[in-house]
Amino acid sequence: MLFNKKGSLIGAVLAVTVGILVLHVNFVIFQGLYDAIVRDITDYHNGDILVTDEASLIDRPDATILNWFERVPYVEAAAPRLSTSAEINLTKNGQLIQESRVPMLGVDPIRDPRASEAHRTVSEGSYVYARNSIVVGRNVAEDLGGVRLGDSLLVGVTDRWGQDQVRRFIVSGIASSPGGQGLDYTTIVHIDTLRDMLDREGYTGSVMVRLNAPEKAAEVRDRFLLSFPNDDFVAETIEESAEQQLAGFRSGIAMINMIGYFGMMSSAFAIVTIQMMLVNGKTKEIGIMRSIGARRKDIMVIFLTQGILIGFIGASVGTGAGLGYTFYAKESKLSFNDSLPLEVSYDWYKITQTALTAFALAIVASLYPSYRATRLLPVEAMRYG
Amino acid sequence: MDRMLEVESLVKVYGDGKHAVRAVDDVSFGVERGEFALVVGSSGSGKSTLLNLIGLLDKPTAGRIWVDRTMTTGMGDSQTTVFRNRKLGFIFQFSNLLGDLTVLENVMLPIQMAGGRNPREYAAELLEVVGMANQMNQRADRISGGQAQRTAIARGLANKPSLVLADEPTGNLDSANSAAVVRMMKSMCERLGQTFMVVTHEPREFGEVDRVITMRDGRAVEGVAPEVLR
Repeated sequence: MLFNKKGSLIGAVLAVTVGILVLHVNFVIFQGLYDAIVRDITDYHNGDILVTDEASLIDRPDATILNWFERVPYVEAAAPRLSTSAEINLTKNGQLIQESRVPMLGVDPIRDPRASEAHRTVSEGSYVYARNSIVVGRNVAEDLGGVRLGDSLLVGVTDRWGQDQVRRFIVSGIASSPGGQGLDYTTIVHIDTLRDMLDREGYTGSVMVRLNAPEKAAEVRDRFLLSFPNDDFVAETIEESAEQQLAGFRSGIAMINMIGYFGMMSSAFAIVTIQMMLVNGKTKEIGIMRSIGARRKDIMVIFLTQGILIGFIGASVGTGAGLGYTFYAKESKLSFNDSLPLEVSYDWYKITQTALTAFALAIVASLYPSYRATRLLPVEAMRYG
Repeated sequence: MDRMLEVESLVKVYGDGKHAVRAVDDVSFGVERGEFALVVGSSGSGKSTLLNLIGLLDKPTAGRIWVDRTMTTGMGDSQTTVFRNRKLGFIFQFSNLLGDLTVLENVMLPIQMAGGRNPREYAAELLEVVGMANQMNQRADRISGGQAQRTAIARGLANKPSLVLADEPTGNLDSANSAAVVRMMKSMCERLGQTFMVVTHEPREFGEVDRVITMRDGRAVEGVAPEVLR
């Protein structure tokens, strides 16, 4: 009976809907971006657990570490890696085209494809398969003046004794990943070749461990460290090993979420304003109802019910629209300007929390207007309504 | 005789200090059960204020009111509301129906608020009596002034109130509709034995009544002889 201002009610519902939608879109984009970065760092660089040495390189035979991990049921695979920086020359027909200093990663061609997704970033050719093959990241290939498959690259590194070691490699693949989070800025060679060049026989830079149950990472890490108490190993979960890269991003997400919640507060103020408008617009009707026997409580219930209705419809429509957007982003593997595809997930706890918060805010926002409505004296309400 | 309404030394002052206006100034009178009483007087004489005070829509500055042997002055808000709903019926000049509801829903509303049984049936019955049965499903904002006022009468009687208060119920109607509304109220008074107190500045429309209270500058002047109104 006092609900007839459909336009105002639709406005209030829209305010709640938009507030929720903004939070969902924020979550899909920023949490999706964060999760995508975590995913790519896990897939290409650190695995679920990354083992390094506190001092510099791991000097235990990698077989010892790999065998330990492969006996653990939660472990999918483990692979050794070794990194350095290299000077690369591209020559064609005896002519130097370009030279560049780039990072170089040594991988085990058998184990690495099981422990990482790096091999999937090879868009042309194939992954490292021979001792003299090299995979070049897209950006490195461009920096070198346009490296193609089958090109010959002269690669120089400085060994452990400070001597330059030079070898010739044949380009077997070009690596390229959306957003450049993969190995676009790196070159990849066989780990044993790199060990030879560095004169680091039996040394490993890191061991990347892939789990089939990522949530068990901390448990596996602790068991590993307990098993090697006399070594200087550092074993870190993805959150720990990528902490520096992710910390800034996390605070960014927190800030964006806060802006989202401020948006929701604005929706609440919109509801207060609209409900006050409704109370003011319905002053006479409130007076009439009071004169024919409506108690203050009855009037309050009417406006509170209205608030509940606004909150319920707004939260439902907003959550529905938010889920629709989330579904679209997930199914279309949403990315911006060919950047990395967002890692979209349905966080039901957050979705429920957002809907309930919006619902509660709509009710709280209706309390004051409802109270104001109850304070109107019937005779005043009818006189000035 | 059985007093339905007793007003004693009633005062209502608006504003304060130099700007104080005594809208009702030391008014005392009584109305017997089943009487049809008129409150007459010129504009600004305090008729409507007096009615609002008796109807518990406003609070008096001083004085006491008894309705059906219950002292209503000094009642708390919720008590006032319940009393208003159960014992009093209102008919306003501009009908004051809720435009978003149908005619039937408007009449049902006071019954529902009082928790009455079969609100739909009784409301329909009342609408039949006031000649609005064929319009009961119309929205209240889509009926004529005369129809609205007849609906307002039905609503005013919905809870079988002991005292019906009407503020200029014919003030907004043409002469034909006015006559119909007056006939209806007087017939209700006779048929249901309810007490009517009607504020009007057109007393002649009502013909012979049981009691007339004349208001002048906030004061009640001794009743005009009912015969004068014939």
